[in-house]
Amino acid sequence: MAFQMLLNFFLAFLWMFLKTSFTPAAFVVGFFWGLVILFIFRSYFPDRFYLHRVVAIIKLFLLFIKELILSNLNVLKHVLKPKMDIKPGIFALPIDLQKDWEIMLLGNLITLTPGTLTVDISDDNKILYIHAVNIDDVKESVDSIKNTFEKAIMEVSR
Amino acid sequence: MMKTNNVILETATKVIVFIILLFSVYMFFAGHYEPGGGFIGGLMASGAIVLLLIAYDIKTVTTILPFDFKKVTAVGLLFAAGTAAGGLLFDKPMLTHWFTYVNPPLLGKMSLHTAVLFDIGVFLVVVGVTMTIIQTIGESE
Repeated sequence: MAFQMLLNFFLAFLWMFLKTSFTPAAFVVGFFWGLVILFIFRSYFPDRFYLHRVVAIIKLFLLFIKELILSNLNVLKHVLKPKMDIKPGIFALPIDLQKDWEIMLLGNLITLTPGTLTVDISDDNKILYIHAVNIDDVKESVDSIKNTFEKAIMEVSR
Repeated sequence: MMKTNNVILETATKVIVFIILLFSVYMFFAGHYEPGGGFIGGLMASGAIVLLLIAYDIKTVTTILPFDFKKVTAVGLLFAAGTAAGGLLFDKPMLTHWFTYVNPPLLGKMSLHTAVLFDIGVFLVVVGVTMTIIQTIGESE
């Protein structure tokens, strides 16, 4: 990904030098034509066309914003409820992610999902220990949320 | 014959091909006000593909660019014929061209000219014909 991106920037600057117009507009045009050329030659590179990964990062960011809003609404509901009918608990979640930054990202995203909090990570980086506010109804739905998160992170790092 | 290891050529090709292709795009768009145009742009683009053919082999290049270059020629001819006939739709003689100025955000004043479409046709025909010639010569034993 880094190579394709660097090459794209290099081509954009090369375009500016060919045009001898050092304006943002020339940069955008050069970047666009570099992108077109890279797209036509996408199977020349060992990894995927880098725009796929950029799209995956944007998707993950939007997912993060959505979950942030939902979790805050959920907390608001719990605070405003007159009765304290919650069942807190801690459960383990096995994960398939390997790189440190992926686990960091997943842990932080879980902390921001409605009603869950990453408490600890096992020493071999295979299991996340998660504290849930409401373990009854949350457990299954949270598992599905984590599937979407884990999938989205894998989409970025694949 | 022993197969030589041309890492240096292949690695250099990885970057140089894109520089040549960008220069061919630049040449293509320079055509209206400066030296350049569809023909030289197309030749340069096919020159980049020939460099790929030199560094790798025909099989690799066909997996990188899975086009039938005879069809590329046909599409180019369609472009040229289409823009040539376009004038007839507006009660003008054949090959009449038309242009306008547009102001897209960020890019500033641009003139759009239908001659560019004709030039795309020239570009594609030149790329298609050159690549067909080189590939058919290269493939025959």
